[in-house]
Amino acid sequence: MELFAILLFGIAATTTALFVIFSKNTVHSALWMVANCFTVAVLFLLLNSQFIAILQIIVYAGAIMMFILYAIMMLNLKKAGDEDQVKNNLAPGRLLILGLFFIGLIILGIGFSPQALKGGMGADALAGFGEINLVANYIFSKGLIPFELVSVLLTAAVVGAVYLAKKD
Amino acid sequence: MYQNVYLTFSALLFAIGAFGVLTRKNAIVVFLCIEIMLGAANLAFIVFTAANQSAEGIFMVMCVMAVAGAEAAVGLAIFVLLYRKTGSINIDKFNLLKW
Amino acid sequence: MFDLVWLIPVFPILGVFVNGLLGRRIEKTNRSIVHWIACTAVGLSFLVTAGIFLKMLSLPPEQRLYDFTWFTWISAGSFHVSIGYLVDPLSMFMCMFVTGVGFLIHIYSIGYMGHEEGGYYRYFTYLNLFMFSMINLILADNFLLMFLGWEGVGLCSYLLIAFWFTDMANAVAGKKAFITNRVGDFFFAVGMLFLLVNLGKHGIWSLNFTEVFTHASILSPKLITIICLLFFMGCTAKSAQIPLYIWLPDAMAGPTPVSALIHAATMVTAGVYFVARCNILYTMSPIAMGVVAVVGALTAFFAATIALTQNDIKKVLAYSTVSQLGYMFLGLGVGAFTAGLFHVLTHSFFKALLFLCAGSVIHAMGGEQDMRNMGGLRKKIPITFWTMLIATLAIIGFPGFSGFFSKDEILWQAFSSPHGNIFLWLIGYLAAALTAFYMFRLIFMTFFNECRASEEVKKHIHESPKSMTIPLMILAILSIVGGWIGIPKSLGGHNLIERYFEPVMGIGPGKLISGAASHETIAHVAETAGEHASFGIQYMLMAATTLIVFAGILTAWMMYMKKREIPENLAQKHSTPYRLLLNKWFIDEIYEAFVIKPLHSFAMFLWKGIDVLVIDGIVNGTARFFMGCGRMVKTIQTGYVQQYAVSFLFGVMVLIGYYIYAL
Repeated sequence: MELFAILLFGIAATTTALFVIFSKNTVHSALWMVANCFTVAVLFLLLNSQFIAILQIIVYAGAIMMFILYAIMMLNLKKAGDEDQVKNNLAPGRLLILGLFFIGLIILGIGFSPQALKGGMGADALAGFGEINLVANYIFSKGLIPFELVSVLLTAAVVGAVYLAKKD
Repeated sequence: MYQNVYLTFSALLFAIGAFGVLTRKNAIVVFLCIEIMLGAANLAFIVFTAANQSAEGIFMVMCVMAVAGAEAAVGLAIFVLLYRKTGSINIDKFNLLKW
Repeated sequence: MFDLVWLIPVFPILGVFVNGLLGRRIEKTNRSIVHWIACTAVGLSFLVTAGIFLKMLSLPPEQRLYDFTWFTWISAGSFHVSIGYLVDPLSMFMCMFVTGVGFLIHIYSIGYMGHEEGGYYRYFTYLNLFMFSMINLILADNFLLMFLGWEGVGLCSYLLIAFWFTDMANAVAGKKAFITNRVGDFFFAVGMLFLLVNLGKHGIWSLNFTEVFTHASILSPKLITIICLLFFMGCTAKSAQIPLYIWLPDAMAGPTPVSALIHAATMVTAGVYFVARCNILYTMSPIAMGVVAVVGALTAFFAATIALTQNDIKKVLAYSTVSQLGYMFLGLGVGAFTAGLFHVLTHSFFKALLFLCAGSVIHAMGGEQDMRNMGGLRKKIPITFWTMLIATLAIIGFPGFSGFFSKDEILWQAFSSPHGNIFLWLIGYLAAALTAFYMFRLIFMTFFNECRASEEVKKHIHESPKSMTIPLMILAILSIVGGWIGIPKSLGGHNLIERYFEPVMGIGPGKLISGAASHETIAHVAETAGEHASFGIQYMLMAATTLIVFAGILTAWMMYMKKREIPENLAQKHSTPYRLLLNKWFIDEIYEAFVIKPLHSFAMFLWKGIDVLVIDGIVNGTARFFMGCGRMVKTIQTGYVQQYAVSFLFGVMVLIGYYIYAL
């Protein structure tokens, strides 16, 4: 049952990602990206990390994607022309590199998997993981300084964005 | 138990994202592809940290999301600026940064 | 009192700093401050020198040596060079007249350079710098510090010859002096290093005069000869001897007080001073002594012949300087160091006076230097005339004047000393006759007969200001009495100067040189020679010299007063020798053809052939090679983001490959 769910949502995530790439209309790409965010969020849920799943939906699907849609709206983009078709940009060398890349990633990921992980990741093993109190304890004790630095980063990004985009 | 499955999907998403970055010319779509790659990386993070029962991986994912947000803000501002100056966001048109 | 010796060079260098750094501003506000700073600096130096000198005279001879070490300059292993000043009769003697004459000429410059605009502070800065260098040269207690002064005076000479550098001829003359001196300095430096290395082989790493002279006897005579000849090459450049005298006549392009101070009275005698300082080395090498004597005698005669036909008043004096320097070297070369130095002293008085008078004449004539356009100035500028006449009588060796004693002493030594012989005497004797002739030719052409200047110039002829005439008068007195310190025994004198120099002649400062002891000390040689030869011969020689001097004067009077068509007739009848003399034996042209041209073309070859083609070729070729490589590689930088991304991805793949391999 669990494997079935993983495969289903994994394939869904892959498919939506492919649609993002192959859509001619930028708005469609963005919408497929929202779908992709939701499927990835479900995968997070299956890994028992509800907090991140919700963040994924709120931050990614909610905020960032809305942001991008606004940008697309402001840019008034036409449909992609011939030069922007995936099939016109396929080079055998690139595909080969990508394939090798993919294989390499899998080998590396599996090879580096922690020993505990290989033993099994059933509901028992994952019990208590990803709960909000665990994350909160971490953020406000050990991870306080990085967390604050992240907020500084966000502030800087916002100021930079405003400065860049404002009319002279 | 199914970590290899998760990791395979993660690698697949990452490869698809990279593929999009390399093939699409529309800056916004390239940007979306980068977001796909970030999502794939997030997935791998969660898989690896789930076994450790610790919050580091989760915190890392939060950081990645924050970076993605910052990146979106600055990147989109740059696109708007580029569009305003040149009337296009085809990345092949912006090749001035060379010898 | 001897401890104050360091003050002597300090005053002029302070003057250099003040005038050199602030002079431009001072000159704008009040130009008299500039020359008062310079004159005060040299005047104070003179006072200190005089104080030390008097103190020295009051001490017994064996206490007259003092080596003042100020601080260590260079220290390398067991080799040390210090800034140290040597107080002994020789250095104080030189220092006395250098600072004294220098002071008078500083005063004179106030009047002479009074009309100079803009460069006034520059002039006095250079003059003070020259005094500093010259004092260092004289007082140095080691070869290296002396060389520093030696180079310093060369530099100042260059700067002052080319003082009016906007005129190309002056700049060229300055360059000529500098380069000619450089040739000599090269030999000097080689000699110094040679000396250092060869003494070092025996474990004596020192350039200190005392130490070098104490240990000189361990060197073989051949080495001593080589070292002495190398040093003498340096002296021929500095003191304008054959073959490197060519720069001195051209050096007259500078302001006249500079000609008087540097190119007549002080700097050019540095070579004489050096040989006298190294008398221990030179007496150990009869060959070097012979070379010095022959070169000196030949220069004395040769320069005198050129002076016969020159028409530029300063050129005549320049060649007479070369000639007189030849006399000094003749004296040194025959072992009469005292006589040579005596002539340095008297020469500095009367030659400085001659130049200053010439300057006064030029000043009066509004810049005219050609004697053919002068004449009849006797009545118009009487002080200049009388002082110049005194100087002329002194230089030709008129009995009673200073030149008589010093020149006679040299000629007598050339005749009688064991190093001398009758030929050297004869050359010197003939040169004395020529000197009398050309000097009186100058006097007659300048001060007698009718005035040949244009009406415009005539109106402006005036006597010089007091700041110029007072130094003239002081020097005139010195030109007369300066020789009285060396009246020989045969004339009832005591030859004070001989006795004065005894501590430094043949005896190293402080101790007797064991090696030199086998030779007899020079003072001793001179004395025994004086005793052996009867006074009769000495009287005869004196009479002969006086006679030929009178003959010279008479000839000049005949040719330039009585029958003034003679020179022209002679020039037409014997046009070849006349032209030869007028063009200075074509020495400049010979040098140009045989030395400068080949060197120049060799330098051109090195420049165009070696430097431009080979060296620049290698350097530029290397650059071009890498530029080509860069041009090929730069195509990788396309500017397309996605191509960058591909290479980025490729790099990541390499990393992944590495980690998979490491698993």
